[in-house]
Amino acid sequence: MKRQLAATAAILVTTALLATGCSGGGGDSGAAAGKGDELKGLTGVIGSKDFSEQYILAYLTSDLLNAHGANLTTNTKLVGSANTRQALIDKQFLGYWEYTGTAWITYLKNTQPITDPQKQFDAVAEADLAQNSVKWLDPAPLNNTYAFAVRSSQAKKLGVKTLSDVAKLPKAEQTFCIESEFSTRDDGWPGLKKAYGIDVPDSNVKLLDTGVIYTATQKGADCNFGEVFQTDGRIKALDLTIMKDDKQFFPVYQGAFTLQNAVFEKYPKIADVMAKLSPLLTTEQMQELNAKVDVDGEDPADVAKQFLKDKGLI
Amino acid sequence: MTATIALPSAQSLRTRARAMTVLRLVAAPVIVVIAVSLLFWWISTLPLDSIEQRTLNPAYIEARIKEHLLLTFVASLLVAVLAIPAGILVYRARSAWVRGIFLTLGNIGQATPAVGVVILLAIVWQTGFATALVALVAYSFLPVLRNTMVGLEQVGSDVKEAARGMGMTRNQVLTRIELPLASPTILAGLRTALVFAVGTATVATFINAGGLGDMIVNGLKLQRYPVLLTGAVLVAAIAVLIDWLAGVVEDLVRPKGL
Repeated sequence: MKRQLAATAAILVTTALLATGCSGGGGDSGAAAGKGDELKGLTGVIGSKDFSEQYILAYLTSDLLNAHGANLTTNTKLVGSANTRQALIDKQFLGYWEYTGTAWITYLKNTQPITDPQKQFDAVAEADLAQNSVKWLDPAPLNNTYAFAVRSSQAKKLGVKTLSDVAKLPKAEQTFCIESEFSTRDDGWPGLKKAYGIDVPDSNVKLLDTGVIYTATQKGADCNFGEVFQTDGRIKALDLTIMKDDKQFFPVYQGAFTLQNAVFEKYPKIADVMAKLSPLLTTEQMQELNAKVDVDGEDPADVAKQFLKDKGLI
Repeated sequence: MTATIALPSAQSLRTRARAMTVLRLVAAPVIVVIAVSLLFWWISTLPLDSIEQRTLNPAYIEARIKEHLLLTFVASLLVAVLAIPAGILVYRARSAWVRGIFLTLGNIGQATPAVGVVILLAIVWQTGFATALVALVAYSFLPVLRNTMVGLEQVGSDVKEAARGMGMTRNQVLTRIELPLASPTILAGLRTALVFAVGTATVATFINAGGLGDMIVNGLKLQRYPVLLTGAVLVAAIAVLIDWLAGVVEDLVRPKGL
């Protein structure tokens, strides 16, 4: 009886191990081809927020660093920027990708963004290091800022290309879908209305959840213009056209890898390794990678691994 | 060694019972008033930035509370109108099939996360008030349905037989005997549904149906905790007040002698 129990237990444990091994996705180190061992001894967890771009960035980072000798895992289970950031501050995460505009407004509690991307990055990096011991590595060129998108057919019909054009439309056509968050930020709706002189009744503005905005914009029943994120893969997939921010109102939401400063000081080579990846991540490149996940339904871990292989980084 | 145990007199017991009733009636509103006053006092001491000022102002908060209450009450009314007759139907049909179907539907409604229902409906159907109502009704349907069925089933068969023996028709037995006797259970179900609806109405924010969820999501996403806290405390306050109000109504409409 006892032996039988032990055998059953052994089978169970083996199955469990196999199962975790199979479902581990790209989170585990192991298989990555070695590109160096300058990060030997570096262990920890790379985190992410809860959308595809963040998953891809997290896997890109852990796979790349692991190829240089680190032994990192990936945790993409947290929901919301606030929780992810808290996990970094609590040293639960070694690091994750953050956007300059988000950190400036949300964590560092400023209300006015800085227009110049480099100055905005410098200000964020300096303040975050001083106040929270969070180190910002050199940013990628990708700018995941806000934008307004409209069905391409409708854009042609209305003859609009820029947000200034939108502001000149008859009021009945000036209908917008925005997020609750966007509705109160200075760099969101209140500021945009002022900058472009948009003057519409509240009933022209629908407050929706991020995911709902894309389909609502495609349908066009709730609104013509939906607030979207510039790097989102669904913009192309749903055949939406972005209205050019011709007055450069929206701040820059440049992506950069942020990590605990203590870890950075112990392993300063992380910056050199990440510098091989970051410059490749442009807005267009990110849109393409995001579309693979959001539109084609591929696994973010696979998309990340394939990209790194194609670029010869792992 | 002698010990005397003071037994409370009937008089003091009655006074104590009355005191308990008064306490029950007064406690909830008093606690709510204190909590909400403390909240607003605390917020008045904070320096608010421009993001917080856009939500933490009387006009905005009043509008969100109104939207929230409207959603809650219309949804509860719809639930009462739909679930009580459904409960009666299931009880009268006395068929395991009908019972199974309705209970399963109610269970599905309650087991499906309201956020999911709301977003799915927004994508396949439309956004706005009506969609939020559907999700709320689906979510609060089960307690009323079940309590109606259980309440009716609990009515003693001797009572019903006596009523039939007096020459009452089946419908008369239902309206004059069964429903009044089942009413405390049915009302308790409605009360649960109302409180469910207050909490669930927070997801209306995702589909342009407003409510206090606007403040909770806004405060959470932008890490403006005074905004988040105000939304959350107000939702809790409304839930407590509505539960209290429903309790008072229950006491008032309960048939005498029950």
